[in-house]
Amino acid sequence: MWKKTLDRLGPLLVVLLVTVLRYLFPNKISFFTEIAIYTIYVMGNNILYGYLGLVSFGQPFYLGIGGYATALFLAYVGHNPLVALLLGIGSGLVFGIVLGPSFIRLKSSYFALINAALCAIGVFIFERLLIDITRGNDGLWFRSNMSKLPLLDVRLPQSFFLFVVIVLFLVLMIYRHLDRSTLGTMFRGLQSNEEKLKFIGYDTFKIKWVGFTIASCFSTFAGSLYAINFGFVNPSLGENSRAVEVIVATLLGGSGTVYGPFFGAFAFLGIKDIVSRWITRWELVVGILTILVLFRFSKGIWGTIQQYLLGIQKRVSGSNDIRSPKGSRSAGAGS
Amino acid sequence: MNLTLWIPAIIFGFSISGIFFLVSLGLSIGFGLMRVVNLEQMLYYTVSAYMTYTMVRLTGMFWLGLLSGVVIAGIIGFAVETQLLRRVYGKPMLFTMVVTFSFFLIGIGAVQYIWGLAPKPVSSPIKTMIGIFGMEIPLYRLLIIATAGAVYVLIQLILQKTILGKAIRAGIESPENLEALGININRIFTITFIIASGCAGLGGALNAPLVMVGPYMGFDMLLYAFITVILGGLGSIKGTLISALIIGQVISVGGTLWSPLAFVAPFVVMFFVILIKPTGLYGVKGVV
Repeated sequence: MWKKTLDRLGPLLVVLLVTVLRYLFPNKISFFTEIAIYTIYVMGNNILYGYLGLVSFGQPFYLGIGGYATALFLAYVGHNPLVALLLGIGSGLVFGIVLGPSFIRLKSSYFALINAALCAIGVFIFERLLIDITRGNDGLWFRSNMSKLPLLDVRLPQSFFLFVVIVLFLVLMIYRHLDRSTLGTMFRGLQSNEEKLKFIGYDTFKIKWVGFTIASCFSTFAGSLYAINFGFVNPSLGENSRAVEVIVATLLGGSGTVYGPFFGAFAFLGIKDIVSRWITRWELVVGILTILVLFRFSKGIWGTIQQYLLGIQKRVSGSNDIRSPKGSRSAGAGS
Repeated sequence: MNLTLWIPAIIFGFSISGIFFLVSLGLSIGFGLMRVVNLEQMLYYTVSAYMTYTMVRLTGMFWLGLLSGVVIAGIIGFAVETQLLRRVYGKPMLFTMVVTFSFFLIGIGAVQYIWGLAPKPVSSPIKTMIGIFGMEIPLYRLLIIATAGAVYVLIQLILQKTILGKAIRAGIESPENLEALGININRIFTITFIIASGCAGLGGALNAPLVMVGPYMGFDMLLYAFITVILGGLGSIKGTLISALIIGQVISVGGTLWSPLAFVAPFVVMFFVILIKPTGLYGVKGVV
């Protein structure tokens, strides 16, 4: 019973944890804001990696698309940050729907490679092809163009943190619902046995298309939040060399789980924050971290916690309960 | 029709094709034989270019640098295959790709520690110009084309005429059957991998005088290697050669027509081919 309640309160607990930590370490506010945004970004990758079983080396491309959609709107067209955020999600929707049919037909190896190629093209487009409107490497600044929202002024770090936390809560709720829904189950079925799913009568092409589109929406949304957080965007947001970071974060948290992305983002950014005090070039550490996690810690943080909780539950309920534990559906998916 | 513009452009394109072919060979053949997309091939390319730079600085001899680059690339390839890749054979594709990509990142970090961040120039070993139809063409470019062509012929000869080559071709068809015949498949993998890494190293050393040698040169090349293998089809040597030829000409001739085309056109070509044929021009069917 308590486990079910815990499960239902999950998103709230995560958000509370971030908020409490933010007030415990008041001078680290930008760090916690970034964790919330990064969690959404990792969720997008988790849908691809953990649920659909596709690896993409081009996730920064979608981040960049979202960031630039928001930035271009705020710099040239309007002033309302909310509209800009919606535009960010919309850009993910458009790219997901347009690129989806041709991309998801590819096998996993080609999918990864074509996304990486796309990512490099994206940087080129932001940096050189559209230099007149994106200002290239100087970055596009728009903070002064943003208007105040009715209740919150997103230009201030404190209130933007609150805004992001509310957004994170909503996104986590949606994400948890997705995980429990038929669609989430089908995503997992796709990974374990696509042929059988087809045989039952589901259109796996459509499922993959929907999954790809949702994943790109999450990523572009994170990109727009990043843009508003910094008040400017530059092409480094979509840099190819950062593609593996989000994969590490996904693995670190536990791929294919609901709360994995949050723990992954938290742990990854925490390690980055600590390590980057001593080492300026970050690639070496990311690479070693990935290989270590892949070979030695494949369940991830949330996967390990889940296993631990399951052990406690078994000990509490005693040996007379031989049924497989209910309410831990994401535990099975994490494997 | 201005010949003085087009003939150098076409020759330039062929030399780009030569480099692309050498560099993407490992990516393609590694997939065909071992079912591993070994993205760390670009590390051998980078390291070899740096070795060439160091040797040119120390001794002034470019060819010694090229040789040392190829040897070093082969040695690193041997170490990586026997120590790292052997642990990932048979694992899911996404697992191996993440492992090799992170190894590539580690390598880039190491390169930055050894040689620093600043790009290094390497001067061209041959400055002679040759007249073709009255046009001045650098001999070095022609040499790259000849080297790549020789490597292709040599590899085809090995594959068609020797026992080792026959074993490799059989391995691409079906690794299980090859093992059942009593052939040590691990040794075949290692030899193939060393050859492929050596080719990537050769590409890096040859490309060193044409580009700036920098830590991120592997990333730039990775993009073109991706495009080449996707277009040609993973696992096919012939496909890699043909797509390298196409991409080289598209970059060079397209860039002469309108300069942004040099970057965008290869992607467009790849995109349309993938749309029509998801396995590339000559892709290996079956387990992917």
